Order: sequence, then structure tokens, then C-alpha cells
Amino acid sequence: MSRRIRKIKIDHNGEFELDLAPLLAVMVKLVPVLLVSSAFVQMMVIESELPQVVNEAIQRQEQQPTPTNISIEVETTGINIVVTVKGQDKVETIPLKNGAYDYDMLHTKLVAVKKAHPDIFKLELHPDGKVPYDEVVKVMDAARQARDTNVKFPVFDTKQGKNVETHYMFPEIVFANMMEG
Amino acid sequence: MSRRRRFELPTKKNSTFTLNITSMTDMFTIMLVFLLQTYSTSEVQIIPENGLRLPQSASMVNPTEAIKLSLSKEALKIDQTKIADVKNADFLPQDLEDKDTNFIKPLFQELDRLAKSESEKDKAFIKEGRILLQADRELPYATLRKVMYTASMAGFPQLKLVTLVGE
Repeated sequence: MSRRIRKIKIDHNGEFELDLAPLLAVMVKLVPVLLVSSAFVQMMVIESELPQVVNEAIQRQEQQPTPTNISIEVETTGINIVVTVKGQDKVETIPLKNGAYDYDMLHTKLVAVKKAHPDIFKLELHPDGKVPYDEVVKVMDAARQARDTNVKFPVFDTKQGKNVETHYMFPEIVFANMMEG
Repeated sequence: MSRRRRFELPTKKNSTFTLNITSMTDMFTIMLVFLLQTYSTSEVQIIPENGLRLPQSASMVNPTEAIKLSLSKEALKIDQTKIADVKNADFLPQDLEDKDTNFIKPLFQELDRLAKSESEKDKAFIKEGRILLQADRELPYATLRKVMYTASMAGFPQLKLVTLVGE
């Protein structure tokens, strides 16, 4: 008795359509939900959220005030960086460049000041009353941390007992003339 | 005379058509990716005030829960409640203390009321004295200083400046 083997024919060139309707239904529901909860304008706050080591260094500085004080005076004619060491003031003036504040020069000078005084993290800000708020924020941006990621400053880590590196310069900015009349 | 039969388009009866939704799915996928990118993970949502232009900063710290103050060229507000008017980038003389021109009377009263309010005073941000300040970028520092000064006098020394992302 001979057996006939039936060959099942498979159509390799056959086409089928994927049913995208359920996927579309999910998306139609997801899109309005996300549209409602999306933040098209991202807002942040200026605040010092710092690594533990830097925070400890700031606290140490507050407990044992150093004789060195660094302050920035934002005048309408330019910016002055005042470094007070043992009662002696050293003033560096950054004049206006093309009628605007020279933030690149300010940042470069602040990096140099930080290199000379790596243990100082606090900076006093004295903006003139006529200076726009936008310029004050830009000065704070220039002072808070080094823009060049290769530039780092030593900070003593008490847990490891050695110096570690940070790109923060003066994260603790205080409006020093707030209570002035 | 015989009437001519009206010409009728040949119609296939019982025919079905399928809508091609592939391109629509593509569009929704792109939208979904874009919206997921802009989805905010911040615990606090700040609604930008009308006509208030915030300064830009490189700061990337998300805002935390606090009293929301906004200072535009027209008014000083707590949330949506107007506290004082602003004219020519300064407060009106009647809102300021006679002896101390940095002291904004209605702001102090409102902050003091919030600090003493039975329903509000137990909140962590009231205890710690936290304020989120949205201020117009063009306002002079002198105007901002009045707000900062009054807030710290009312027991709210932790002032956080709200900025836009970007440098």
C-alpha cells in the first residue's frame, strides 16, 4: 500500500496587514493625558544643592570664619570683585564691554580668585538698586561653578581624610545689602 | 418616444474598504515621544504668570513646595491673589512703611497671616520659611530687595529664585 504524502503548500509571498487599531486607540488616550501634564516651560530654582563634601566645607567655613571675605559689587558702570584678606581690600574692576557686563571676564577672574582661595565657598553679592534682576542672576551663574569641566578645585573630605575635587566655586551666594536702607 | 435610462455608476454591492491608519500611528508615536520628553517629574508645578518674563539660568534644581510669590511689572501676588500694585517698577507709596521704605505692609500682613494660620502653620515650608519668587527679569534689584527684605522680616528667610532653563 503506498502512502501519499500530501505536501502542505506555504505561500511565502503572501501579505498580511497588521491590525494597528488597538495601538492607535491606546495612543489616542495617552496623548491627551500627556498634553495636560506636560511642562512646556521648564522652570528651575537657584538654590545650592551641593555634594556632601562641599556642604560640609561650607558649614566648616561658617563655624570658623576665615579672615578672607570675597564680595562682588554690581554697579551700573561695571563689576568690582573685592577680596578682603586680614582687613586688606584688593579690588579688581571689570568695566562694561560694549555697554554690557563682561560675564566671561568676570568668570575668568572668579576662577583665578577661587584658585587663590580654595577654602572659600561663600560670596557676598552687593548689587546696585538700579541693576536689572536678569543681570544679577547672570552674575550668580558666573560665580556658582566653573564652566570648563576640566577646571576643578580641591576640597577637603573629612571622611576620606584627603582632598577631593569639585567644580563648584562659590555656591553659597548671600545678598549682603538686603537689609541696607 | 422612448425615454433614455439615466446613467448609473456601477456600484459594487457588499464591498468593504479599510482605512490605512499606519501614517496616523506614526504621527501619534512621534507625538508620544515628544510629550514624554517634556513630561515634568518635578513635585511642584509652577504656573507662569501672564506678562512676566523670568530670567534664564544654568541652575538645574527642581523647585520644592513653598509659598509662591510673583512680582511682575504690574503687581505683586501670592499664588493668584494680588497683594500690592507695581507702577513704574516700584511699589506705590501707600503700600510702603513711612519710616522704612523697604517694608511692604500688605505683603508682611499676608505672610504673617499665613505663618499664624491654624491650617497652614504646620506645613513644613511655612515652618522653614520657604518662598518661591518669580520676578520679572527687567525689574530693578531695588524692587526685588523690598520683597526679600519684607519676607525675611515676616519669618521667611529662605528665598528661592525661579528661573527658566537655559543659559
